[in-house]
Amino acid sequence: MENEEITVVTEKSIEQVEPIPASENTVYYRNYLLLPSLFLTVTLLGGLRIGLSGGEFVFVRPALIALVFAVVLVVLFVRSRLIEPVGWFSERFSALENVAAGAVMLSLYAASVQVFNSLLPEAGLPFWIVAFCFCWTLWNNLFAPFDAKRLLQSLGGLFAFAFVVKYMVLLNLSVEGSKSWWGFISSGNITSEAISYLLAIPPYAGATGYIQFFALAIYLIGLFLLKPRLN
Amino acid sequence: MNAKFIQISGIALTVVYGLFVVWIYWASPKNLADFETKARESVTKAASKASVVTNTYEIDKVKFQEGLVAFRSENFIVARDRFQKSDPEKRDARVQYYIAYTFYRQGWGRFSNDDELFLKGLKQLEEVKRLDSDFKADDPDLRLARPVELENEFREGLRFTASDLNPFKIGRERK
Repeated sequence: MENEEITVVTEKSIEQVEPIPASENTVYYRNYLLLPSLFLTVTLLGGLRIGLSGGEFVFVRPALIALVFAVVLVVLFVRSRLIEPVGWFSERFSALENVAAGAVMLSLYAASVQVFNSLLPEAGLPFWIVAFCFCWTLWNNLFAPFDAKRLLQSLGGLFAFAFVVKYMVLLNLSVEGSKSWWGFISSGNITSEAISYLLAIPPYAGATGYIQFFALAIYLIGLFLLKPRLN
Repeated sequence: MNAKFIQISGIALTVVYGLFVVWIYWASPKNLADFETKARESVTKAASKASVVTNTYEIDKVKFQEGLVAFRSENFIVARDRFQKSDPEKRDARVQYYIAYTFYRQGWGRFSNDDELFLKGLKQLEEVKRLDSDFKADDPDLRLARPVELENEFREGLRFTASDLNPFKIGRERK
């Protein structure tokens, strides 16, 4: 009997506890410190590759098309109400609030550019094929009815597919090309060398895939944490 | 914490982190050791540029003296390197003139001149003229005290004429 009483009392006390409202400071920390940190980390990692031969850092600058895709992506964020511009920028807000929102927006744009930089193959036929796929999908999405959840699901799928193509298929096919025809023939790896040569796949170490995986994951976490209204 | 303080911190974080990302893509270090070297170089360059902007730029006198010692002992490669490092922003006409002069003295030959060095010397003289069109060297060791005289020497040295075949030219002196 005593035990039952104790159990009932404990359950009641749990029910009485109301959910703790998120403190205003927590929201500010998330919006103005955490989000830019996440997006700028993606910006840093998105173009980082590790060389196959010496394990050296290679910082790849984004192609022009990545900047265009990032603009379209931000437009999609607005269309799907993942971002509501009136909740970010307004004449009702102070200059500081507008500038701070601008900084978050800039970091989001930079991260978007670098995500495309990460997922687009560097050169050759694969670059144009993947770029065309991105272009096709983004263009279709511009005219499709969307909400934020569906957009995030669609982006997750799109990015996951591009990641698999680049870092699990193409990267595994790439080898460091021989400098001469004799080296090409005697390498014992003619198929991979021929594919690397024909598809212009730069040889990167497997660590590149791990870095880009985390960059992509951080970007999606950042989008998940993004709220339509910043202020 | 105050909301304004968080927003200001956010802006500062974005600016600093953003500049770091831009710098790292510009410098493209190959590894962590290279990262340190390039960071040091960038800081030195930034400090030099800042001193130009604030009008407090001065040449490195120690390096300039080392350059002069090497110049007088006919070690023109070291002299040029020291002179260049003493004036990284290329804002001192005197140092730039010494650099041009190292090209002349190193390239001068009794039988023939080194055209490549003379061409570099000519290009270097443009820097001197840009900084001070009426420059005159106060060092008596530099017998060609004005850029126009040195330029003439470079141009004469680059030109091939019948007088170059004159055997008595062997007796000419370097200035």
